[in-house]
Amino acid sequence: MSTVLQSLSTELADAVETAGRAVVAIHARRRIPASGVHWRPGVVVATHHTINRDENITVTLPDGTTAPATLAGRDPSTDLAVLKLAGQNLPAATLRSGTPPTVGELVIALGRPGPSVTASWGVVSRVDGPWRTWHGAEIDSLLRLDLAIYDGFSGGPLIDAAGRVLGINTSALARGVPVTIPVATVERTVSELLERGSIRRAYLGIGTQPVRVPESLARKLELKSDVALLIVSLESGGPADRDGLLLGDVLLELDGAAVNDPTDVLAKLGGDRVGRPIAARVIRGGQVKTLQLTPGERPTSRAA
Amino acid sequence: MTESMSAGLAQEVAAAVEQLRRITVQVRTRRAATGAGILWNVAESEGRGLVITNAHVVPGNQATIELNDGCAMRARVVARDSKRDLAALEFEPGPAMVSMVIREPQTLRVGELVIAIGHPGGLVGAAALGIIHGAESAPEGRTPRWIRADVRLAPGFSGGPLADATGRLVGVNTMIQGSLALAVPAAVVEAWVEHSHALVAP
Repeated sequence: MSTVLQSLSTELADAVETAGRAVVAIHARRRIPASGVHWRPGVVVATHHTINRDENITVTLPDGTTAPATLAGRDPSTDLAVLKLAGQNLPAATLRSGTPPTVGELVIALGRPGPSVTASWGVVSRVDGPWRTWHGAEIDSLLRLDLAIYDGFSGGPLIDAAGRVLGINTSALARGVPVTIPVATVERTVSELLERGSIRRAYLGIGTQPVRVPESLARKLELKSDVALLIVSLESGGPADRDGLLLGDVLLELDGAAVNDPTDVLAKLGGDRVGRPIAARVIRGGQVKTLQLTPGERPTSRAA
Repeated sequence: MTESMSAGLAQEVAAAVEQLRRITVQVRTRRAATGAGILWNVAESEGRGLVITNAHVVPGNQATIELNDGCAMRARVVARDSKRDLAALEFEPGPAMVSMVIREPQTLRVGELVIAIGHPGGLVGAAALGIIHGAESAPEGRTPRWIRADVRLAPGFSGGPLADATGRLVGVNTMIQGSLALAVPAAVVEAWVEHSHALVAP
């Protein structure tokens, strides 16, 4: 007798089995291994924060054998890393890129923090539009999960009830709360990392904090917004320092658009802005002043 | 999923829970908080029945077991294994009692549905639904020490059943590790009962 309950149980186990064939264990840190997904033939996607070394990385395949892998590149801002795996006959993951996940959809997080695959289930609790990580990367869609996370879960796939991959799970982008990096973001990052080895991002070498501009000053200077960004740190010799920005300047606009939040600055600093001047309007000594700032290419550990 | 399918699913989960409640007992002692137990063997003709629970649920030699229908009786600890955290209690079975059916070992799959029954915080016959998280790896042909399930349990679930979608016993819920439940595999319990039952047989 096959009931709905038994069919669901079998389907979930089938989904785990199918998708699990493309999930590997990544040995690149002390303690327990983390997970990775065989994304394209010969290409494994993992999370940056679980890869603590650039060499001597090995992966455990679903059949239990261990193989060496080489790091093709990593991107701290999306927490993704790409590994190359040569000469293995491993199926690549089936991606679901057409239909986005919906709130309430039944999902499974897979991992392989050892020889065998592990699973936890739950639902998608939030789906939203694009968001920016604190390192400045734009993630195509915010996917939050209502499911239990466990050691070694990062780098594993979020799959739907049919075993198709919806993205890569990580606990490092939102203070330990599990989020899924959607397929579109992973695809874009993988392609760029395979091509260049790193993700190109522009940077100015500044730290900012939102401040309210006094009403009288805002009226006097005819400002559009009364919230602006105070420059609270300036990297010595960095792009903004070279171009004459000073500590204590209050940044009003970049390229004619008001900046009210540090992420507004990050949004202006895509990889295509390296070397192309940005017009910056600032308040200095009670006067509005316009400066031309030329972003440099960001070293991997800097934010804005 | 269509509306009729999810309605059917809800009914079937409720039916499976009801069936499992009939093989789940409360185990009460003076010294420990109420735990759960499983009606393992109910041979009315022999005049003895067996309940399996965790050793930590019954610190002494005596306990009171209470069935789902409210019928309570005295039970005596006839075997105990602190290492496996298992205990066997003997009692005098009444009529119309049913015992559990064991799932065939070695066939458990990661991702399949499981149901746990217990009595968290005195809430009798509570149910939790989850999936098999993973089996601890064991040498070829050996049963792993623990079954790990992604199911949210609380202390009162100790000693109670973890069952599959058809209501067959998969393991005895024993520990909580983070958000996971650890259960002693049914095959391990079965082997232990056979071994220790021989010791206590009249």
